[in-house]
Amino acid sequence: MTRHLLSGNAAAAWGARLARADYVPAFPITPQTEIIETLAGWIESGAMPGRLTLLESEHSMLTAACAAAVTGVRVFTATSSQGLLYALEMIYAAPGLRAPFVLVNVSRGVQTPVTLEPDHTDVLAARDSGFLQLHCATCQEVLDSILIAYRLAEHPDIRLPVLVNLDGFYLSFTREPVLLPSVEQTARFLPPFAPEHLRFRADQPVAEGAAVLGSAAYSYFRYQSHLAALAALPAFEAICAEFDTVFGRSYSIVEAYRMEDADNVFLMIGSFATKAKVAVDRLRDAGRRVGLLRPRLTRPWPEAGLQRWLLGRRTVMVVDQNLSMGKGGVLATELASSLYGRPDAPRLLSFIGGLGGRDIGVEEFHEMAAIAQRSADTGATPPPRLLYTADELREVRKLQAIAHNAPRRAGEPS
Amino acid sequence: MFRIRFHGRGGQGMKTASRILGSAFFHAGYEVQDAPHYGAERRGAPVSAYVRADRRPIDERGIIRCPDLVVVADESLLAIAARSILAGIDRHSILLIVGHEAAMVWQERLNVPGTVLTLPTDAPRFSGVACAGAAARLVGALGHDAMTEAIGAELAGFGDKAVAEGLTLAEAAWQAMAPHAGCVSEADELPASRHAPPEWIDLPADPVDAATPAIHAGATSAALNTGLWRTLRPVIDHERCNRCWWICSEFCPDSAITVAADGTPQIDYEHCKGCLICVAQCPPHAIRAVPEQGVTP
Amino acid sequence: MTDSSFAHLKNLPKARQLAGGTPMCAGCGGLQVLHQVLDILGENTVLINAAGCMTLLANYPYTPLRGSWLYTAMASAPAGAQGVRDALDILLERGLPKEQDLTVVVLSGDGAAGGIGLSAASAAIERGLDFIYLVYDNEGYGNTGQQQSASTPHGARTATCRDLRRWKKDLFAIWTAHLPTYAATLIGCEPLDLARKVEKAATMKGPRLLLALAPCPTGWDFDPAETTEIGRLAVRSGIWPLKEYADGRVTHTRAPHDRLPVEDYLSRQGRFRHLFEPQRDAVQLGEIQAAVDTYWNEIRDY
Repeated sequence: MTRHLLSGNAAAAWGARLARADYVPAFPITPQTEIIETLAGWIESGAMPGRLTLLESEHSMLTAACAAAVTGVRVFTATSSQGLLYALEMIYAAPGLRAPFVLVNVSRGVQTPVTLEPDHTDVLAARDSGFLQLHCATCQEVLDSILIAYRLAEHPDIRLPVLVNLDGFYLSFTREPVLLPSVEQTARFLPPFAPEHLRFRADQPVAEGAAVLGSAAYSYFRYQSHLAALAALPAFEAICAEFDTVFGRSYSIVEAYRMEDADNVFLMIGSFATKAKVAVDRLRDAGRRVGLLRPRLTRPWPEAGLQRWLLGRRTVMVVDQNLSMGKGGVLATELASSLYGRPDAPRLLSFIGGLGGRDIGVEEFHEMAAIAQRSADTGATPPPRLLYTADELREVRKLQAIAHNAPRRAGEPS
Repeated sequence: MFRIRFHGRGGQGMKTASRILGSAFFHAGYEVQDAPHYGAERRGAPVSAYVRADRRPIDERGIIRCPDLVVVADESLLAIAARSILAGIDRHSILLIVGHEAAMVWQERLNVPGTVLTLPTDAPRFSGVACAGAAARLVGALGHDAMTEAIGAELAGFGDKAVAEGLTLAEAAWQAMAPHAGCVSEADELPASRHAPPEWIDLPADPVDAATPAIHAGATSAALNTGLWRTLRPVIDHERCNRCWWICSEFCPDSAITVAADGTPQIDYEHCKGCLICVAQCPPHAIRAVPEQGVTP
Repeated sequence: MTDSSFAHLKNLPKARQLAGGTPMCAGCGGLQVLHQVLDILGENTVLINAAGCMTLLANYPYTPLRGSWLYTAMASAPAGAQGVRDALDILLERGLPKEQDLTVVVLSGDGAAGGIGLSAASAAIERGLDFIYLVYDNEGYGNTGQQQSASTPHGARTATCRDLRRWKKDLFAIWTAHLPTYAATLIGCEPLDLARKVEKAATMKGPRLLLALAPCPTGWDFDPAETTEIGRLAVRSGIWPLKEYADGRVTHTRAPHDRLPVEDYLSRQGRFRHLFEPQRDAVQLGEIQAAVDTYWNEIRDY
């Protein structure tokens, strides 16, 4: 194992290479493109065996990924934002085929308006598809998660595709020290792909993805995918224990940071969670009993784990980098359902921020903690807070003035 | 933790600068984060990159708000992007400006609380490498070997010639910064109590017309001064111009050359990006390229 | 082309439809063509944009356009054009004054036009949609760093291949196979040819293709000052035939009788450097020359 400075995108490409992906259907989109460029270079030079095919769209890319997986090869692919949304029909179609493969999503906000910078609205649109979802906070975790994702996807009790998410810019273009395992070491953890039931062969005809016209059969197959997804919780723990044995790094379903005696707990996914760690450290220095929980898996949802960590605490501050218009933060909603009806549940405070790459400052985390403490003391839960400052609105007002007040064309009524 | 920001133009190698400095810290045993930051901008437009380095794993992410060192690859950028360049500079910060004006002049003109240093250079093409060499010397925690090793590693992909050229440039910058070696210091971490609370507001629901990204006006981009992307300026010699009255204007992608009724062309320097198609196409060679003041000697 | 109001270069429009301040690269061949086309179409246009380099043209609160703009998606700009056209027709029937009508123009790069957007364009032509389809062909996915597209030419290096082995997809032929009203190839270095074609297209109804080769300094790796010269070499070497399709016939509008060797065009661009260095790849260069020769040998209309 050697240590290198790698960007999140480079770490993702290394994940695919070390996993010995046979097939990479690809389509470029910012900020994912470096992943496929890197893989294309390796495959063309012979550094990596396998085949990369540039498709004409993400929808076709996902279709090719599903089709290759059911034909019995190990598949890796990657997209982002609008690309994920464009592929959504096939994202929903893939899990029911029970064909394992890994899709990396480099999170980027979705239109309208178009942006290049990250939030989690894209990946959460795939939430109900049947893909398992792993969320990364560091470049190391990107590489490791891809290896773990193949084990999960190919697990005999699961056989579902897995989405590995990393934040655009904050991870995709950011280099950090990454321990790069050797091919031999990786092979000890991740054996060659065993297609099992997946094959199209001349001597074994098979009809994959057949339609069903009865509700009983339809419900049965859908429930089966759900049960397989739930099986990923215990499987993840077992796989991570093996990962620790081989690589010496341990991953839990929910990362818990300074949770000892924490009254008020931040809950976040993705790379911004490391920013929350800095805030937790400063607040602990000041004597505040705060901690952080970061679910690595959001599908399956780690309900029992979150309950174990949260019941008996005073508040949980959910920071959502997504927005379900007309409702609020998706994670807050999900967590509420896990805590509902529990007498010892913490008060749930919802904060929405970080949309389109908007920074969440350390002072904002401090303010959230102060609000949480007040809520715990008074017993009143404040309404969800959209993180937005007076300065930001002033800036937007200036833009609006330009967009609306420029001189009209000659001859137009004013 | 060391927090360093580089500001330059697209094409000047700011990502390379951050990667060289990041690698140098990494080879010296530090935990590192380096990243470029760019949006819609293209070659010539302002871009930035940053490096964080610490003895412990780094949890902080994204833009650097309170830099220990800010390196400006090109003094002309201060006319375009002063606000983002100077953001967060305090008394302990060092501001290094590559260019020909004296440090004293900048110190007075910018009126920043930190210390201003300058680095004269004659090589704008690889200014990113020079910036990295200078930054490495100013940081002090990095040895000469760490710098040269990093340059070898980061420029290897561009060939041996680029590595040799890079080493020469970085060496010159390293030497030039000798009087200030080690002047960059790591800021103290602010305790939670010292952070001013954010000025959050309750966002009002605006009329739909304002609440959509619609531009109810034409040609508003004229307010953007893309002329500042330019490093070379086309200048018309009106004695030589034969009043063909269409070539330079028609071929200009940016609508930056207008022609008067008598056929006299005029360049709009607010928007000319300096592509120099007009210079290449003018039949009587009446347009020549001259360096923008303060960019190239 | 006898009826054109562009008999002479002096007839070219002097007023510029596009304002400066766009985020496009210095020396952008696509922007050069866009200003030339819009200068003739005028401001009563609505551009329906397919994701690509020009996505950033209208970047809140800044637009270089004097006319209108609708951002759609990479795959479906022609469907966006359908919706705008249909709605305008409904409103015209209900009394919207004719002078408020707009020319509907899809603005697409080659990546969308030859790939993800091909199905939507094909269906729009089939429906006889009254629109202009303006393609800036920079022979790759330029906005993401020049990966190979359906339009990348044989032998080119891109961000995803060292030396492309297949041949450029012929979008002009795909369009004419649909029997549209009009189709033409354009290039910014031939503004008179361009003006005549755009003027002609503007007087017609139905699906009309304007396919412009857009030399790209960033993606093709040449100095931005050379954009126009590279384009001229594309025409003079016969690599980029200037032609139009109308009334079921293809006519070549600028026939290079003394064609320059393709090497004159290729050798000026970094993306073809491997064909010349470290040694000259005579086989590949011969293949590219032969393809161009075959094309022109089969042309009978000039």
